[in-house]
Amino acid sequence: MNQRIFLWMSTGAIAAMMAAGPLAGQTSVVVAKPDAKAADKSDAKAPTKTKAEAPFAAPKTPWGDPDIQGTWTSDDTWGVPFERPKNFGTRATLTEDEIKAREKAVERSAEFVENGGENHSPAKAQIDAAAKGEAPPAPPQGRYGRGVDSAPVPGHWGEFARRASHQTSQIVDPPDGRLPPLTPEAQAKLDAKNKLRRDPVPASYENWSWYDRCISRGVAGSILPVIYGNGLEIVQTPGYVAIRYEMVHDVRIIPTDGRPHLSSNIRSFMGDAVGHWEGKTLVVETTNLLGDRMAVGVNGDGGPPYSEDLKLTERFTRVSANTVNYEMTVDDPKTYTATWKVAFPITHEPGYQLFEYACHEGNMAMHNMLSTARLEDAKKTSAAPQPAK
Amino acid sequence: MRTKLFVLAAGFGLMLAAVPIWAHHAFAAEFDVSKPLVLRGTVTKMDWINPHAWIHLDVKNADGTVTNWMIEAGAPNGLLRRGFNKSSLPPGTEIVVEGWQAKDGANRANGSNITYPDGKKLFIGSPGTGAPTDKPENK
Repeated sequence: MNQRIFLWMSTGAIAAMMAAGPLAGQTSVVVAKPDAKAADKSDAKAPTKTKAEAPFAAPKTPWGDPDIQGTWTSDDTWGVPFERPKNFGTRATLTEDEIKAREKAVERSAEFVENGGENHSPAKAQIDAAAKGEAPPAPPQGRYGRGVDSAPVPGHWGEFARRASHQTSQIVDPPDGRLPPLTPEAQAKLDAKNKLRRDPVPASYENWSWYDRCISRGVAGSILPVIYGNGLEIVQTPGYVAIRYEMVHDVRIIPTDGRPHLSSNIRSFMGDAVGHWEGKTLVVETTNLLGDRMAVGVNGDGGPPYSEDLKLTERFTRVSANTVNYEMTVDDPKTYTATWKVAFPITHEPGYQLFEYACHEGNMAMHNMLSTARLEDAKKTSAAPQPAK
Repeated sequence: MRTKLFVLAAGFGLMLAAVPIWAHHAFAAEFDVSKPLVLRGTVTKMDWINPHAWIHLDVKNADGTVTNWMIEAGAPNGLLRRGFNKSSLPPGTEIVVEGWQAKDGANRANGSNITYPDGKKLFIGSPGTGAPTDKPENK
């Protein structure tokens, strides 16, 4: 099976490179994979790894636009570092050995999802140790002392890649795959934000991100892969493309009729998006964003808050029946000292559906976290020396 | 188990070196890792709500009284892709929950491991749900 996966991934990569060839100006390093069904039907006993598939004929809508409609997910890039680890330098793709290792990791993560509940009993381990009179295992440590990453995530929560990405990072430009230096102004905003997020006794709901509060994940945060909920649905009509995101349910209605952006006085969380077609690629430029709130990072909160001058340019190119190559260029001179770009494939997975994600009403975590913080306040008050009567 | 966990961790290390895990809220702001618990009880209802589903559970105490606990589960969309649906956990079902209690002392817990009393997994994958674990032949 492993060998079979490797074979179809290799042929798919070559097919994708061929398909991407005629696209002028495309510098993506995204390695598109063929859809699972096509892979399954492909000759598993292919004599070489270099068997190429016929060039993909991108479908068109009845009115002649490239058809990128459907439900997609960025799951396959979950686990690919956002910034490239420095030891890779300017190498954007993994070596064959590294790909094999990542394939193993993908298999293990699938096992974690399926069996993590059984193999992942740290709470019981603590109790068992106490019953034996042994020192309990150290509680899991978090990065900040809070955050879900400070404790094991239940296996059944997670969603993971179905295929091993060949990329060394999600960021593909600059060539070292790392974020450009921040401006001093942005660094100060990041420091202030981190102080707020990491406060051990949060004063208010405002300590949490717009994502935590079920308000929005922003444009970038809605597609960058995270632990779960990485789906998006694209629907087209003549002159419009609509994108609905799975987690926190933002929707973008993107006109492709050549109209200009709205007045710069009009600002919103998801900004003003206008699109056009370049060959078979949908290009979407988004401006008019509200500054100093969300970030261009996971869940709209990873990194410094962006400025109101942020311009995002996204490119959606269908390279196979079940794969769209996605790119996003980030241009915000008040925040980053240079432009930068992420690129990864989004894939159609049979059976993957989006359901409503209205989450404010049921966001019990916010209530629970704040009640905990107020309890901490009360403890401090009762422990403080009482004024003399 | 330890060996397996280690292998798993090593695999994740390779793949996820620079990837923090973000879910919809802060675990340690809500739950207390120094309050581990194992609860065995009977499901009274399940809230299919975002961002996380909650399982309500009647747990019989040593003195014969009954306490209703709330257990946090995954996001509904994710649970559905695990093959878990509205009819998977009808009221009256007996389950065992391992997890940690809420920091504020309420009868709420994070359900890190949820099984039937015989150890059978609750969150079992099924084909054709779009789950990462769906095998191509099942699609």
